[in-house]
Amino acid sequence: MFKDLDPILHSQLRLAVMSLLISVKKAEFTFIKEKTNSTAGNLSVQLQKLKEAGYIEVIKEFKDNYPNTTCKITQKGIKAFEEYVKTLQQYLQVKDKGM
Amino acid sequence: MEEKKLSGEESLKLISCMIYEAKGYNAESGLGAIIYGFSILIYAILAYLFEIKKIDFPFHPFFLMTPVFFIQGWVQYKEEKKKKEKTFTDEAIDYIWTGFFLSVIAALSVNFVNAGYIIVTIILFLTAFAVFITGLLAKFRYNVICGVVCLFIAAVSFFIQNVNNLFVDGNRCCIGVNSGLYIKSSF
Repeated sequence: MFKDLDPILHSQLRLAVMSLLISVKKAEFTFIKEKTNSTAGNLSVQLQKLKEAGYIEVIKEFKDNYPNTTCKITQKGIKAFEEYVKTLQQYLQVKDKGM
Repeated sequence: MEEKKLSGEESLKLISCMIYEAKGYNAESGLGAIIYGFSILIYAILAYLFEIKKIDFPFHPFFLMTPVFFIQGWVQYKEEKKKKEKTFTDEAIDYIWTGFFLSVIAALSVNFVNAGYIIVTIILFLTAFAVFITGLLAKFRYNVICGVVCLFIAAVSFFIQNVNNLFVDGNRCCIGVNSGLYIKSSF
């Protein structure tokens, strides 16, 4: 019996953000924007969704007198991401066997 | 990035691509390593001249290193601020060098028991260890080689427990300057 893929993570930009954040301790908004090649508006919306799900922590502070947003993955986010990858692997294994 | 429905393969490809992107980021300028290297060179020359009584100093030249530590710390702080992300590797490297500086400070207590030039050997071993591990963690082969060379120099230093040991210590400058210049030209 397969588990459903987490709908929060099963979106291209949100998955890209989570994959970036899983490999670093924290990352600035501009870094995520640059690496995911997304627009600021779209990224803000997706970050908000991840924040509401409790998967990331968004820290707003000032750096050299300019507002600076930093994101960090939470324990819940790490668990959800691991679960997502595990489910994905199960899907792919079954698909390979079926071929 | 356009929003679209992902297939299983696309999801896995995206995950590995993003993880690779995050790891490939490096914003080091190498300036800290260059400052460290040149200050070691100047210190080693001055300390040697002081020990053989060719120059006179109101205090041991080692204490000239104190402002250098602060300058290096400031450069490091500025570079940290420039970074847009902090990886777990960065964090581990920070801990290693904090451990290195604390160990060096603790090792300086050897001066109180009049143990001669053994402190040079100890610092060389600590430097070799820190440089080697940093190289392995950062996957920076140049530092791994420097670490091994420094270990060899440290072993040689055991046999030269006299004023010439300061010349051996001066070799640490090559490790700092070369690593710094290499990083500067690479990134």
